[in-house]
Amino acid sequence: MTTSVTERTEKIKKVVCYILELEPDDVTLDSSFVEDHGVDSMGAIDLLAALEREFGIVIEPGQLPRMTTLAQVEAVMTEAAGW
Amino acid sequence: MNRVVLTGLGVVSSIGTGAGDFTASLRSGRSGASPITAFDTEGFVHRNGCEVRGFVAGDWIRTVDAGQLGRASRFSVAAARMAVDDAGLSEIDLRGKHGLISVGTTDGEAYELDTLAVAELAGTTLAGPEAHRTLPARLATEIARELGLSDVETETIGTACAAGNYAIGDGFDAVRLGEADFALCGGADAICRKTFAGFYRLGTIAPEVCQPFDADRQGILTGEGAGILILEPLDAALARGARIYAEVLGYGLNCDARHPVAPDRDSVARCIELALADAGIRPGEVDLISAHGTGTKLNDVTEAQAIRQVYGAEPPPAISLKSMLGHAMGAASAIATAACALAITHGFIPPTINHVRTDPECGIDCVPNRSVEAELDIVQNTGLAFGGNNAVVILGKYRADR
Repeated sequence: MTTSVTERTEKIKKVVCYILELEPDDVTLDSSFVEDHGVDSMGAIDLLAALEREFGIVIEPGQLPRMTTLAQVEAVMTEAAGW
Repeated sequence: MNRVVLTGLGVVSSIGTGAGDFTASLRSGRSGASPITAFDTEGFVHRNGCEVRGFVAGDWIRTVDAGQLGRASRFSVAAARMAVDDAGLSEIDLRGKHGLISVGTTDGEAYELDTLAVAELAGTTLAGPEAHRTLPARLATEIARELGLSDVETETIGTACAAGNYAIGDGFDAVRLGEADFALCGGADAICRKTFAGFYRLGTIAPEVCQPFDADRQGILTGEGAGILILEPLDAALARGARIYAEVLGYGLNCDARHPVAPDRDSVARCIELALADAGIRPGEVDLISAHGTGTKLNDVTEAQAIRQVYGAEPPPAISLKSMLGHAMGAASAIATAACALAITHGFIPPTINHVRTDPECGIDCVPNRSVEAELDIVQNTGLAFGGNNAVVILGKYRADR
């Protein structure tokens, strides 16, 4: 609980950009991975796995369809981790 | 062209090994599901699969050193030996003939590759015999070695979860065209961490059991095993007084490649039509469909729609053996073809177990939970695979006048 919200967002964004091979400057809180950045479903699965590893949490695969923007990813992770 | 009949079958499965045990389990609706023991499942919340239990390779494999075979090859070789015994043949009978050995698979020896990956992560190397176990070609070549057959073509076909039916189709072609005097064909796969983890990540592993066509279905359970059939020309089978389980009437296959994982309704319907046309059968003549029926949200609805597209508003019963066997991947459609032949021979329809309420979107009679006695003349067996690889086999009761 020592990590601040912004720090955490930055850390999530770093993982998102690394796994989905996106430029950090292009990714906003609400830009769509699929429509704005051309990410496919395999990329989304890679992302879910990487976030679980990086943050030591478990995300139900059923949440995948919701994880379409940085803000949504953080929302799903917040629920999953109980932050 | 030759008429082609199925005169022997070998089955290694989570609900029984050998035709007798397997038939009894199909009739009673036995579940093969239990917690996976073949690999460490720590870290996974859900851990059920359909493993082959109590299987001793040496009970079946006589010539080859079973210890040198990978897990999937042990299943394929044992099932082939079973099929030859079951047909009342010996390897001496087969050695004087041209043959085809065709084995379909999804993962080949991925169970053995898992050990390779573990060794690499641990910074160690595998010994030669362990590395040699990883070769998927051995699923077929080891059958030739076990039976001492040299006048055979061997092939391992990797068309994923429809592979068993692809191999049976190829065996059927070779025998009906007279290119081979017999075919040993089917599929084999072993449960492994790679496949389990992959399907788990796709969100398609069911927590407890597989419930095809159920409104509350939650996905697949990974399974394993082998089904190997022996196909012969009808004349040869009659000449030696062989028991005939069923006649192979035709098959169809197509590949649409429209989506990496999602089945395509029109393409599945087209594949069924190709098979029926090859068999010279009208849809109204089909008594039973053994569906691919994985128990995922997407497959079952798409497949049911494809069935209605071909068969109209009142299709024949469509069961899913995966409710009992889990998804044995490349072996699945071969084990299912064996099950269809046994259903024809013994006059019953195996049930779709774990069934509570049929999904109205599927809207088919899946023969829930209890087998029923039935005279079956024509049965369709469907195998669908990732990449839009579809293969459908049509079996019929053997009738001289057909």
